[in-house]
Amino acid sequence: MTPTEVSVRRRPWLDGIAAAALAGALALAFLTPPEATQGNVARLFYIHVPTILVAYLCFAAVLVGGVAYLLTKRPSWDHLAVASAEVGVVYTGLTIAIGMVWAKPTWGVYWTWSARLTLTAVLFFTYLGYLALRRAIEDPRARARRAAVYGILSIALIPVVHFSVLWWRDVHQAPTLLRPDEMQIDGILLAAFFAGLVAYAIVAVALIARRFDLAVVEEAVERELRSGAGAIAGDAVTTPQLEPRP
Amino acid sequence: MTDQGAIATLSGVAVRMGGTAILRDLDFALDGGEVVGLFGGNGAGKTTLLRVLATLLRPSAGHVDVLGIDVTGDDRNLLRGRIGLIGHTPALYPELTLRENLQFAADVRGVSPSAMHDALGAVGLGAVADRRASACSYGMQRRTEFARELMLEPDLILLDEPHSALDSSAADLVGHLADGVAARGGAAVLVSHDRERVEKVVGRTVELIGGKLR
Amino acid sequence: MWPQIRAVAGRDLLRERRRGEVTWVTLPFGAIALLLIPLAIGTDAPTLRRIGAGLYWIVVLLFGVLVTVRRTAAEGPADRDLAHRLGIDPAASFSGRALANTSMLLVFQLVVGVVAVALYDLEISHWPWLIVVLPAAAAGLGMLGTLAGSIAAGQGGANLVPFLVAPLAVPLLLGATQALDAGLRSGGGILSWVLLMVLVDVLLAIVGVLTARPLQETL
Repeated sequence: MTPTEVSVRRRPWLDGIAAAALAGALALAFLTPPEATQGNVARLFYIHVPTILVAYLCFAAVLVGGVAYLLTKRPSWDHLAVASAEVGVVYTGLTIAIGMVWAKPTWGVYWTWSARLTLTAVLFFTYLGYLALRRAIEDPRARARRAAVYGILSIALIPVVHFSVLWWRDVHQAPTLLRPDEMQIDGILLAAFFAGLVAYAIVAVALIARRFDLAVVEEAVERELRSGAGAIAGDAVTTPQLEPRP
Repeated sequence: MTDQGAIATLSGVAVRMGGTAILRDLDFALDGGEVVGLFGGNGAGKTTLLRVLATLLRPSAGHVDVLGIDVTGDDRNLLRGRIGLIGHTPALYPELTLRENLQFAADVRGVSPSAMHDALGAVGLGAVADRRASACSYGMQRRTEFARELMLEPDLILLDEPHSALDSSAADLVGHLADGVAARGGAAVLVSHDRERVEKVVGRTVELIGGKLR
Repeated sequence: MWPQIRAVAGRDLLRERRRGEVTWVTLPFGAIALLLIPLAIGTDAPTLRRIGAGLYWIVVLLFGVLVTVRRTAAEGPADRDLAHRLGIDPAASFSGRALANTSMLLVFQLVVGVVAVALYDLEISHWPWLIVVLPAAAAGLGMLGTLAGSIAAGQGGANLVPFLVAPLAVPLLLGATQALDAGLRSGGGILSWVLLMVLVDVLLAIVGVLTARPLQETL
């Protein structure tokens, strides 16, 4: 039996666009004037905010992949879920790390118990748990099914976690965007922010696409290990060859 | 069950696991009232076929109908509780007594206490029913499983090496259980190496060779 | 449905009564944790009185979840085959196991609670609220543990379950601590925290029942 050929799609154009968008966003971030009170360290926000927003989208994709898998049982939905979860966890980790780098000079500490900070950490560990769970389950169908349920459970509880933490206390900076009453951020800053958002979204799509392809290959390998139509059970077990004792 | 129609129909069934084809392109039909003996060497796939029939294992390919229901279809929950199975390892809770183990099955399926009492008597465990399963021999545990199946009256009964661990006085239980199910219009499949004993019980035998039935 | 739920819950409670893992292992483990904490953070009585309730809830969350991974709760392949053979409705199985877990967690909370009150000299003048708060927390943690147990079944679940449960238990932890804190201070604001816990319980019940079938089915 010849091994199944799995062709991996190459998408150089997507990688190219992602790299270009990232370079453009970084350049814009450095073109903005330094912030009045925080100085250059404020530029970190052009990474910090877009990455967490894209991470939310990734976790939404985990939910979509999970629900669709449970309904259709098509492995590609599970591939989407795992790819999005991994990228989401990396982005959340990046958000937290960058936030801490910003917080030390600004607030004097790496960590404070603000609601949003706590929630982001919870989110990070929830989806780290999702990935740990996937690693622990060998059977692909059981893995997809149970991971889907955990993904749904997480999404169902995350809003409640959010509001409970919010209710608990909040010293985190109030949202400065999406508040139409007074625009607190001017032209070039807004451009830099949206460029960051678009760039990190495209990078996420490129990463998810690659991880998705990897999941397709993983699935093919697993199927190959499970098939092996050549060997027939029972044939391998032969009559015991007993030598007469001297 | 009163009709003598098909109890199970398997067509083109294949099961693959860890690089080995256990069953391939297997066809099998089981009619109401039948008691069938299934033979084959070590590792031939007898238990696997039994697990497919029990709807515990999804075949890699092919179509399986049990009691007129597609086992991978949306109606499969209608099969709940209708297929009896006595496997290799006794499925008993070790902390519970034999009676409590049966009581649990009776509670779940809504069986009357008198039916449970009768079943315990029928397998000769009436006097020791209040011993914990962990303190009972393998043979007593097997008898408890026979009592459970007698009590639950399945439409299809699947027995894996039914004679193992049963002493000679209890060996008749195998035929008693299988015939009882067949008499109600159901069917029984007995998997065994022990041709001599099984052939006394069954009406038809099939052999699993090279992943197919002969 | 109800007879099956009752049968499953009864089976779990009886098995635990015979094996005594919660009674003889998890409960003393939780109690000794309460004893160890002051050795690490200092034995200043006013401090312990102030933070004692929080420590108690941490122990309930992190050690109480071990109730749901006790050996008799683990479903081995033979247990799954039996559940399948008996045709237990997956939703009934979830409900029954969650009910048993909740009852055991309630006992755990009560015993460890008595230890906490004794060791840390906790104020319990607002005890009537405990009648609501303790069961609400036990039910949430019980269902969360049951769900995580099914999700991680047979895959080193004993290690995975606490990790899966902990981040999602945040609303229960906040609800329980804040409700009792509010009760201590003035009595105001308790209700909203209790409602939060009830909301979590309801959500968990819905997710648990709806996902029981894909989680437990073998085909």
